[in-house]
Amino acid sequence: MSVTESTSASLGAAPGAGSRPKVPRDLTPDAPAPARPSGRPTPRRGFLRSLLRNRKATLGVGILLLFGALALLAPLLVPGDPTVITGSGSQAPSAAHLLGTTAKGQDVLALTLWGARSSLAVGFLVGLAATLVGVTVGLAAAYFGKVTDDVLSLVTNVFLLLPGLPLLVVLAAFLPPGAGTVVVVLIVTGWAGAARVLRSLALSIRAKDFVAAATVTGEGSGWIMFREILPNMASIVMSTFLGVVIFGIGSQAGLEFLGLGDVSVVSWGTNLYWASNDGALMVGAWWAFLPSGLCIALVAFALSLLNYAVDEVTNPRLRVPRRRRAGVHAPGGGTVVSGVADAATSNATSPASATGHSPTPVLEVRDLTVEYRGENRTVVGADRVSFTIGEGEVFGLAGESGCGKSTVAHAIMRLLRAPAVITDGSVRFCGRDVLAMPDDELRSFRWRDVAMVFQSAMNSLNPVMTIGDQIADVYTTHERVSRSEALRRAGDLLELVKIERSRLRAYPHQLSGGMRQRVVIAMAVALRPRLLIMDEPTTALDVVVQQEIMAQIADLRRELGFAVLFITHDMSLMIELSDRMAVMYGGRFVESAPAATILAEPRHPYTRALMNAFPPLTGPRTELRGLADGVRFTDIGDLVEVVGGHWVAPHDEPDDDRHDQLRDEEASE
Amino acid sequence: MLFVLRRLGFYLLAFWVSVTLNFLLPRFMPGDPVSRMFARSQSRMTPEQITQLQQLFGLDDRPLWQQYVDYLGNVFTGEMGVSISRFPTPVVEVIAGQIGWTLLLGGTALLIAVVVGNLLGILAAWRRGGFLDSMLPPVLVFVGSFPYFWLAMGALYLFGVSLGWFPLRHAFSAGTSPAWTGEFVSDVAVHLVLPAVTIVVVSVGGWMLAMRNTMIATNAEDYIVMAEAKGLRPGRIMFRYAARNAMLPAVTSFGMSLGFVVGGALLTEVVFAYPGVGYQLLAAVQGLDYPLMQGIFLTITAAVLIVNFLVDIVYVRLDPRVRVS
Repeated sequence: MSVTESTSASLGAAPGAGSRPKVPRDLTPDAPAPARPSGRPTPRRGFLRSLLRNRKATLGVGILLLFGALALLAPLLVPGDPTVITGSGSQAPSAAHLLGTTAKGQDVLALTLWGARSSLAVGFLVGLAATLVGVTVGLAAAYFGKVTDDVLSLVTNVFLLLPGLPLLVVLAAFLPPGAGTVVVVLIVTGWAGAARVLRSLALSIRAKDFVAAATVTGEGSGWIMFREILPNMASIVMSTFLGVVIFGIGSQAGLEFLGLGDVSVVSWGTNLYWASNDGALMVGAWWAFLPSGLCIALVAFALSLLNYAVDEVTNPRLRVPRRRRAGVHAPGGGTVVSGVADAATSNATSPASATGHSPTPVLEVRDLTVEYRGENRTVVGADRVSFTIGEGEVFGLAGESGCGKSTVAHAIMRLLRAPAVITDGSVRFCGRDVLAMPDDELRSFRWRDVAMVFQSAMNSLNPVMTIGDQIADVYTTHERVSRSEALRRAGDLLELVKIERSRLRAYPHQLSGGMRQRVVIAMAVALRPRLLIMDEPTTALDVVVQQEIMAQIADLRRELGFAVLFITHDMSLMIELSDRMAVMYGGRFVESAPAATILAEPRHPYTRALMNAFPPLTGPRTELRGLADGVRFTDIGDLVEVVGGHWVAPHDEPDDDRHDQLRDEEASE
Repeated sequence: MLFVLRRLGFYLLAFWVSVTLNFLLPRFMPGDPVSRMFARSQSRMTPEQITQLQQLFGLDDRPLWQQYVDYLGNVFTGEMGVSISRFPTPVVEVIAGQIGWTLLLGGTALLIAVVVGNLLGILAAWRRGGFLDSMLPPVLVFVGSFPYFWLAMGALYLFGVSLGWFPLRHAFSAGTSPAWTGEFVSDVAVHLVLPAVTIVVVSVGGWMLAMRNTMIATNAEDYIVMAEAKGLRPGRIMFRYAARNAMLPAVTSFGMSLGFVVGGALLTEVVFAYPGVGYQLLAAVQGLDYPLMQGIFLTITAAVLIVNFLVDIVYVRLDPRVRVS
């Protein structure tokens, strides 16, 4: 399962994705964690470098190198045949025999060091061969596809299913004994695991866009396999290899312990076989038994550490986060740096508070600052953001992907998770300090007071629960009603958004995209919250369904009278629906005014660029002009009120010329 | 339904492969080990038993395809000849007498390891950076690095030989005979502790880490954020929303890892002289008892395949998305 995870991570910097996203071209829906650092290192070099920085990896490599050196130097350290009897039997460790002697009188230290040679050689040989077969099968399946893939995956799965050790035992019993037999048998039983992982990986990479792009540009298939697909498999090939080596060393030891290998070969497995055969433990000669087992365990541990590090590097989410002082706790709490709540109350210079629509705002956000704290650098997701939403008001928040609008939305409900931290500012709901709420108060505040419609309905519904149960959860938790009563109310809700009551028993995947979004909206109004946050509620839907959904929301609002924080990058939709709106860029507000004012008289160059991103459907053609490449606004100042209720961040005048020109063109239409 | 049928077909195919492997091995392996076996034990057998074994191992002059057809017929009717090492007991009877112990040991150990491992994984992923998340995984990885049999021998030495807390070998005390009495059941339980605990200790880390990693991926899903936004209690989000989804891959890997568990149980049985099929398999190998060896291998394979099929059926119940497709 971690395979697909780490795949996507290691593919992040696939060819073509390396350049920084230009502003503001990329107007796709943004993830809950925007403002993410954009440039990622190329997979291979960056991968090895981060691997070497990983503590687990360095420890693992260190142990392996130590054992490798001991194995190589064994003839120098303990010269001569290790099986020769050099002392009396079963002697405890002493100066003459540092690790004691076996029941026969052989030196345990010599046997252990020499044993490393055979054990490591067999393990790595098996690892190499089985991985090679796995890569070949994986690439062949992805390359030829269709019947070849079917046959190969069938064979792989059958081999994988056959119980390994019993098969090993039976094979070893029929084959003539010897070290070569053990290697062959281990490869035969070990390749399938590698092949299965690498096949599905190769197939998933083959399906990626950059491979399709390479195909379209006319690259040969061989080139695609070896230059596009194989390099992206590097980290998984490595962890597969490590896994097979662990399997090889362990199974070799197991086989030899059972006496199925060549018992005259000196290896850790045969050492243990003899220790057991001579009854070393029964006479208390633990030293004959301990070293070889410890060696196997240490080598396997080192390999596991290395494997684990590869996983962590390719899938950073697995890394254990450092616990922070202030109540960082996993899903549930929302992360707030302590002391934030009172720190901000004194700061009354915030402009947006003056733009309040009604005397008692439903929501009052003041100087909200959110940081994404990475290991190497910190990115500010929202920077001193202030606004208020009045009773029943629709407040729009516009901006490109990654500008921080979802960060603001999540911060209001304290849904942000590490590495995002609210470092400053306050969020007040009807006068209550949201950031200071204890856990249980926060839980009842969520959904009852403020509910949220997330951008992707498919992903925000639990795939293995019926939608009825998911709606009922809201009632059983907040209203403490029985399940049957909760389900009855859930049915009413569905009817409210014009879905048949019978669909309560449906699972999310059985509904269309539009229906799912309506279910989510129904769920959001279940407790009649005073504020509904809608984070791009229609982005994933087609235009017709989009219209239906927006009409639905308008109906519900008329009926229930909730205020809305409406987030989108669709300026026309926003201007149509919002009473007031704000435009956000790089975590800061650049302009805030009644929607009609913004439409008639956008003042900030970024606002104008954003509005021009959608061409008019009628009238003469106009040239689409975003911001020129590389134009970025930095150090955006606090909003200044230019006219009553119209706040704009100070900006450079030269930009205005170009945009004045644009505006003239618009005016001439 | 189609899914279940397709899986059934797949398992039948896998079984056919292992039967064919069994058929081919004695016929094409160099050194003719089966003849050696006959040379050693022919004198004790009746002519019928000799003919039957010769047919099973291809020591007659029928054409190969005919041997194959007859072999398949024999396997599916349970005709696997007589055991050489436990002459003249038929192979099927030897296996029937021992499979129960393996099921008891393997089943108990697997159940405990799966439940404990997955619970630990769920909790570790839920409290990222906590004790379970940061301290336990390395420890369990280290313990899991030890060979099954080595840890088993260590436990045997420490708790059996030195401390004398647990019996050293077998599944029940010598002199007692199996019966449904409290005395016998507790005797069996005491004998079960060391072998089962060693299997659990070695395998629990794998379960925990797999579950933890899946849970971490699941916790980042939108539906978990949505569940939090809904103000649900943490326990409900953790189990009903996160773990319920994260367990799906765990169910699949449960079937996959069964082969390994059987292997581990085999080694553990050998160390503790536990009278299961694994112990018997090794005895059969040492006694050149090829009929018994083949019978045990096929039995283990069949058991693994059947459990996998049951797991698939459970999976269909757990994942509504598979149910329709």
